Amino acid sequence: MSAPSLTRQRARVGWFLTLPALVVVAAVTIFPVAYSVAISFTRVGLTYDGLRVEDWTLSNYATMLGSSAWREALVFTLGYTVVTVAVELVLGIAVAVLLDRLEVGRGWLLALLLIPWSMITVVSAQLWGYLYNATYGAVTWGLGLLLDEPPVILGTPAPAITAMAVADIWKTTPFVAVIVLAGLVRIPAERYEAAEVDGAGAWRTFVSVVLPALRPVVAVAVLFRVLQAFGIFDLPFVLTQGGPGTATQSLAMLGYRALFHDLDMGMGAAVATATGLLVLGCCLLFLRVFRSHVDEAGEGGAT
Amino acid sequence: MALRRRSLLTAGVGVGVGVAALAGCGGGRGGAPDLARAAEVPRGEVTVRWWSFPMATGDGRDLRTLLIDAFRRHHPTITVETVDAPAVTDVSRAVLATAVAGGAASPDLYLGDVAWPAQFAHNALALPLDSVVGAGYWDAYPEPLVRAVGHAGDSYAFPFYVDQAYLYYRRDLLDRHGLAVPGSWEELAEAVRVVTRAGDAEYGLAFQGAVYEGLTANVAEFVADAGGAILDEEGTRVTLGGRSGERALTFLRDLVADGVAPRAVGTFREQDSTDAFVGGRALFLRNWAYVWGVVEAPDSPVAGRVGAVPRPGFADGAAAGHGCLGGWCNFVNPHSEQPGAAVAFARFCAEEEAQVIMMRNTSYLPALTAVRAGAEARRSSTPVLAAADEVRLVARPTGTPHYPQVSKALATHVNTLLTGGATPAEALAHARDGIAAALEGTAL
Repeated sequence: MSAPSLTRQRARVGWFLTLPALVVVAAVTIFPVAYSVAISFTRVGLTYDGLRVEDWTLSNYATMLGSSAWREALVFTLGYTVVTVAVELVLGIAVAVLLDRLEVGRGWLLALLLIPWSMITVVSAQLWGYLYNATYGAVTWGLGLLLDEPPVILGTPAPAITAMAVADIWKTTPFVAVIVLAGLVRIPAERYEAAEVDGAGAWRTFVSVVLPALRPVVAVAVLFRVLQAFGIFDLPFVLTQGGPGTATQSLAMLGYRALFHDLDMGMGAAVATATGLLVLGCCLLFLRVFRSHVDEAGEGGAT
Repeated sequence: MALRRRSLLTAGVGVGVGVAALAGCGGGRGGAPDLARAAEVPRGEVTVRWWSFPMATGDGRDLRTLLIDAFRRHHPTITVETVDAPAVTDVSRAVLATAVAGGAASPDLYLGDVAWPAQFAHNALALPLDSVVGAGYWDAYPEPLVRAVGHAGDSYAFPFYVDQAYLYYRRDLLDRHGLAVPGSWEELAEAVRVVTRAGDAEYGLAFQGAVYEGLTANVAEFVADAGGAILDEEGTRVTLGGRSGERALTFLRDLVADGVAPRAVGTFREQDSTDAFVGGRALFLRNWAYVWGVVEAPDSPVAGRVGAVPRPGFADGAAAGHGCLGGWCNFVNPHSEQPGAAVAFARFCAEEEAQVIMMRNTSYLPALTAVRAGAEARRSSTPVLAAADEVRLVARPTGTPHYPQVSKALATHVNTLLTGGATPAEALAHARDGIAAALEGTAL
């Protein structure tokens, strides 16, 4: 390329030019996150003088790890994330493949599909709440036609979790579909032709040609979805308030309650920090596994 | 994607250390509030901001305007501006707590739930009032209410209006079957059996059984019916348990198991239970006093066919007529720049003139004993007002600053009981453990 001194000089100018943006990012992202992490190691008292750190301690984490509420929320959040993301991925790919093959009306159908995604979760959760309502809900009524005694959907753990997952899948499958579709249209026609020449059937083509080519976009879709599903808050907040019992209490709800209901700053921060670390760990792990696959497929590499 | 992990880590640690240093310093604002200033009404023109929500009067105006106008006749130099609070109580608390904890001087006074004083006092979010108005000031209010606004030897909120629970019943259906208004839970269960068997109502009793504070209120009432309490008077020890706890929880379980309450009651909040009653599906409803206005509204299908009485008790239990204490109070922001004016207005709202304006123009129940129990209230054609003083007010376990955790532990385990996931004994044991942990501050 060029002489090292020139590179360094350019780098300096680059840093200089990006500095304002970095300061903003630090102020609105890094500082609050670091502050929250620091608070999680304290026992904080609210006084007339404002926030006062009474003690630096690990007790928030000790209490959290020892609490059944946290463990239940963790199991629920993890299970919920894995299941909804997996289902959304399968459905999303199916929808995308269908859209890709569609000759007419693709734009219209796409727009129609995106309606659930464009809806604010609080609103869609409220609508699903009406559908699931035990007294007048359409879903309850429909189940009543099939079963002698329809379950009280949001009042029984398994149906409540399923109902929430359905509402989530309904909303976010289109998002996955759109991202996957973007990957699909970029697969060159020659590859399909080559597969055909080699005598591959439709299924074989899908598994050996389409799926490998989709890996990078699928990685992006899964990453976004995992981040979102792990932080799920609005859906249980509106639909179930975490109930019945604590069956649908997510980690984010637990943290919110500790912070804003109980006014326990340290505990709320500890839950948030732990959740952040978990999701970071999951994403890094996922990226590592996926990146090696991507590299094998000869698609990724460049950043 | 080319961010080097090490540099990111270094930056993170650097910021973290900086933050830690900063967190140690604290906010640096204020100090203890000036109580002498809070006791004096300022002379010059001042403005205070009142965090509150619209309260409809019978003729479609806002009670707040009426009260402010009346107040200004006494204090023409004090202007009161209203600030609309979020409609959801928990959201209102979150916003207020963050603002006041951050040292904000506005709002100068705020309407808050009667369940908040202990928590707000503990977290320095409210001005202590005993030295401002004198400890004897509170004698004019019902004793459970005085205990609710108090914490650790001081008082933190001026009573504004009281909400309390009643038993609503379908007078037409009881009459049709020649049944009297039930005097005990046993009679209520019997009446439900008669009416539902005849197909005149789908459910017996609707109440609030979802995982939230509303269930805590219901449990507090049933425990009181059985002669017990959830916490001791100081709010430091669990007293839920023994025969009274078992009886209350067994009865709650049986309500659902025997079909007296709908199976869906574990998902019911105030609105759902009211819907079931107003829609004609339920024979009885346990709900707050404000629901009278809903069931008697012109568009209500059951208007004119409903009665309301204090809740019954157990045939052989403690006294009948328990109703949970709810309602709202005015708190004064300890960082207010006009504490004297804020106190003057909050105090005005708690006293006779304002309480009478409220009683005459709205369906909110007054807090001042002289007005609640006065001849005018007792002559009222609205049963929830006429019987206001007959209800034995039961406080939720709000005496502890950890009330939200206590409430959560109780509601979670009783909800599990209602939805068939635990026996009464298990639910009781788990609730006790959860409440004990909450009181120690080690609950999540």
